[in-house]
Amino acid sequence: MKTFKIGGVHPPENKLTEHIAIEVMPVPAELAISLNQHLGKPAKPLVKMGDEVRKGQLIGQADGFISANVHASTSGKVKAVKPHPHPGGQYAMTVFITPDGKDEWAEGMNTEPVDWKKFSREEIIQKIKDAGIVGMGGAGFPTNVKLSPPPDKSIDTIILNGAECEPFLTADHRLMVEYPKEVIAGLDIIASLFRGEAKSFIGIESNKQDAIDTLKKHAAASGIEVVSLKTKYPQGAEKQLINAITGRTIEEGELPFDKGCLVQNIGTAVAIYEAVCMNKPLIERVLTVSGMEIGQRKNIMARVGTTFKDLIAFCDNMSAKTNQIISGGPMMGKAIFSLDVPVVKTTSGILFLNNTALEKSKERTCIRCGKCVDVCPQGLGPWLLANVAQMREFDDIQLYGLANCTECGSCTFVCPSKRELVHWIKYAKALVNNRQKRKSA
Amino acid sequence: MISEAFIPAVSSLGAVALTLGVIIHYVSKKFHVEEDPMVTIVNDILPGVNCGACGYPSCGQFAEVLVDTKDSSMTCPVGGSDLAAKLGETLGITMAEPKPQIAVLLCQGDNDTAKETAEYLGIQDCWAATQAFVGPKQCRYSCVGLGSCIAYCDFNAMSLENGLVVIDKDLCTGCEACISACPTGVLVMQEKKAERYFIACNSHDKGAATKKACEAGCIACQKCVKVCEDNAIVIENFLARIVQEKCTACGKCIDVCPTKVNCIRLENDLKAVKQKKAS
Repeated sequence: MKTFKIGGVHPPENKLTEHIAIEVMPVPAELAISLNQHLGKPAKPLVKMGDEVRKGQLIGQADGFISANVHASTSGKVKAVKPHPHPGGQYAMTVFITPDGKDEWAEGMNTEPVDWKKFSREEIIQKIKDAGIVGMGGAGFPTNVKLSPPPDKSIDTIILNGAECEPFLTADHRLMVEYPKEVIAGLDIIASLFRGEAKSFIGIESNKQDAIDTLKKHAAASGIEVVSLKTKYPQGAEKQLINAITGRTIEEGELPFDKGCLVQNIGTAVAIYEAVCMNKPLIERVLTVSGMEIGQRKNIMARVGTTFKDLIAFCDNMSAKTNQIISGGPMMGKAIFSLDVPVVKTTSGILFLNNTALEKSKERTCIRCGKCVDVCPQGLGPWLLANVAQMREFDDIQLYGLANCTECGSCTFVCPSKRELVHWIKYAKALVNNRQKRKSA
Repeated sequence: MISEAFIPAVSSLGAVALTLGVIIHYVSKKFHVEEDPMVTIVNDILPGVNCGACGYPSCGQFAEVLVDTKDSSMTCPVGGSDLAAKLGETLGITMAEPKPQIAVLLCQGDNDTAKETAEYLGIQDCWAATQAFVGPKQCRYSCVGLGSCIAYCDFNAMSLENGLVVIDKDLCTGCEACISACPTGVLVMQEKKAERYFIACNSHDKGAATKKACEAGCIACQKCVKVCEDNAIVIENFLARIVQEKCTACGKCIDVCPTKVNCIRLENDLKAVKQKKAS
């Protein structure tokens, strides 16, 4: 079984929702659609208070090269445009829509599926751009930018990321089992952009045998190789996945296309299929609502902009013991600070936990046991980065590979001294950034 | 015998020492650099904290440039006018009078007035907290209240009190070290005056949003603008600002400010203002 070469951990899998079918959530009483659902500059609002919008209508225009369009998730009236809490932890400009209940599509959207083969490469990329598709695994990098690498780089390997290595999350798993045709079609569209010269892979962790079987059956005709990967975190991290499947290593400062690779998420592939063949913008996504403290664990197809409060009500409320709500997976997700935060394009799951280990300043000193070095998939010394950050010695910290850390959380997971290693590294990145900004100013 | 054992050791080491001594003496004569003794004198007068407020990385560098150029506009903000006079006397020039600066916190959202977002259990540092979320206080413009700046103060002028950084105006020398250490930019430099009014709020949110998050926030109600006879108050981006050059410190704005904890602050006299509101 294939896997990445160095490091990795195996946290309890807790895939509690892997056999629960995707349930479509009705449109809630109010939608809060954030204009910052992607990496890069937030979208420019195109609507104002009182405007009528149709489902799929463009309400946020991509602002710059690295940015993405935002569409209305249902038809209704714009109630307000104002800053609002964002699952990323900050505030972001948000369009509030009061649905009119008709859920009417805008002109020419959500048509009967057509054959994508009649579109040219430029048309496909334009359609993906118009639909506001971003990487749905978590980072939210605009997909049209990722699909247009510099002309001097040749892509020979396309990988669809079905590893879903984060504990609890099963959104991609359910998509692969329930929508295999769309997944394969999405991958075929991506492959066609590289004139069929590239070999396509789908990497899936071995704990999702039903998904592997289903996709193998559907992929047989189109020459796609379904690769079974060892169940190990972070198998689904871009660099680790490339290493596991092709054996290539992405060095510091390199991007996947430098090594001829392109990685896309399962959800993104389905969104690409829908955008190209059905002219449907990215206005809903599958996410996992799980954790020990939620009444009913579900895989939900929810509209972008559904608030966590509405999701909790839909999932039979959380217990009073909940002390931590995480947007994303437990390893890389962020604890949210308000139940008003909305689902965005990158929300892969929401976890309701009773984390008994939570206490203020539980950190102890580093005992130099070296466990974090063993598990770091990037081959770094997290203890060193964290200790140097704690001492505020930012002059040389780049030499220790600060920029190479992907913040996967493996080191924090194994640390016996309960040190917040990743948090220290994020802290160091923020301060190094601040220094450079001040220097150039 | 003992002496027999010593003789070769002492003589050989002595010879080595003598040879090296001659070489060192020769080299020091040959490569001697003429240093202005004035630099040492000036350097001794300077505070010697290497804070960087003058724009040079150390006091020594400042002394070198000052002696070299005799530029009377160069100032050491830490030393103030006493030092300027002393430097002028030493160098025989009239030094420019430095404008004493002081670090000011544009926030009054302490643990009582500012609303909490969520219990923050991570690393107790402002930068670490703002990486995780908006910060322990709902207002994203506020003083985070975990005291990252305190460690950067060379003069022990800062302390943490009820979730808010307090600056000792007598100890603060205006070196600006704390300014870059603040993630929300709520610390600014202002000119040191005996009596000075300023808006102690940094929130650019609209009035309603500001009020929801904090009782001491400026809601941009324009009352102070209307009452000010010197036209010294302007509202920019939902936040009032007092133009220090125009302000005559009459104090009329303080009386009309409708926020529960007055967002207009009189330097030197915060407590008096707060009591006035309560009574």
